[in-house]
Amino acid sequence: MKPLIIAGKEFVSRLFIGTGKFASIQLMARTIEASGSQMVTVALRRVDIENENDNMLAAIDRTRYQLLPNTSGARDADEAVRLSRLARAASGINWVKLEVTPDPYYLLPDGEETLKAATTLVKEGFVVLPYISADPVLAKKLQDAGCATVMPLASPIGSNQGMKTKASIEIIIEQAAVPVVVDAGLGAPSHAAEAMEMGADAVLVNTAIATAANPVEMARAFKMAVEAGRIAFETGLAPKYKTASASSPLTGFLRNEP
Amino acid sequence: MNAILKINGQEKTFEGGLPETLAVLLDNLHIDQATVVAEIDGRIIERKDFFRTVLAQGQAIELIRFVGGG
Repeated sequence: MKPLIIAGKEFVSRLFIGTGKFASIQLMARTIEASGSQMVTVALRRVDIENENDNMLAAIDRTRYQLLPNTSGARDADEAVRLSRLARAASGINWVKLEVTPDPYYLLPDGEETLKAATTLVKEGFVVLPYISADPVLAKKLQDAGCATVMPLASPIGSNQGMKTKASIEIIIEQAAVPVVVDAGLGAPSHAAEAMEMGADAVLVNTAIATAANPVEMARAFKMAVEAGRIAFETGLAPKYKTASASSPLTGFLRNEP
Repeated sequence: MNAILKINGQEKTFEGGLPETLAVLLDNLHIDQATVVAEIDGRIIERKDFFRTVLAQGQAIELIRFVGGG
């Protein structure tokens, strides 16, 4: 498998993993390990000043994993830029998964605000990985604005519906000069393999792994699926035909032909 | 006059007067400085400046940390 390069940094693993919804920090750490991932997303929230706060960052070895803070919760460009700056101040990391989701029901991204925030953040020296609807025109605009990747959604966040936007993602992959990361909605390893077979450069998975009965084993399953899909893409899939094409010889049958 | 700060959207009264600096405030709240980032009245305060950031009556302080997210 060819390594993936984003903003000059090389990744062997093409599975990015989210850290939300895990039952414990220990389970999260073991799952990240099993996934083989080298890119790990985190969110920013207010400290609970009345209660003890877990330090989840301590469980992530930053020499092994690229930390990717997200701007989840941002409803417009200004909020996303503010969260990005806070994330950089908190971690020293200038990578950001830019997401602007004004509607809490479907959590679909606002393309206009995302483009506005991306333009500001690129100017401020951020490595911007925007989460977007599967819109090839927007993907191209974000690429031109200097984003390091584009991350179209397969289906709504946490919905586990799989590749509902497949046809549009195909166009994005065809046109993109930056890596295309399929993010959100991948519910099964087969969905991840499908995205990788199409030529996606990576996938980002959280809910399907974190809420599985055994997240560690599910992470392993996704790891294998991503590798399988990528190898298949690099090798080139055999073409499709409308009719059958026998796999066994069509001569030497045990009967006398008339 | 009571010493009041608005921390994460909630007013907090300090009977013994305002904590002198942001670092002292975090100590009082039992929050590990290494795990948080702060914003005072919309301005980000770098962690290295916590100990010399003097607090003033009525300031809006945001204390933020990393949590799990996708």
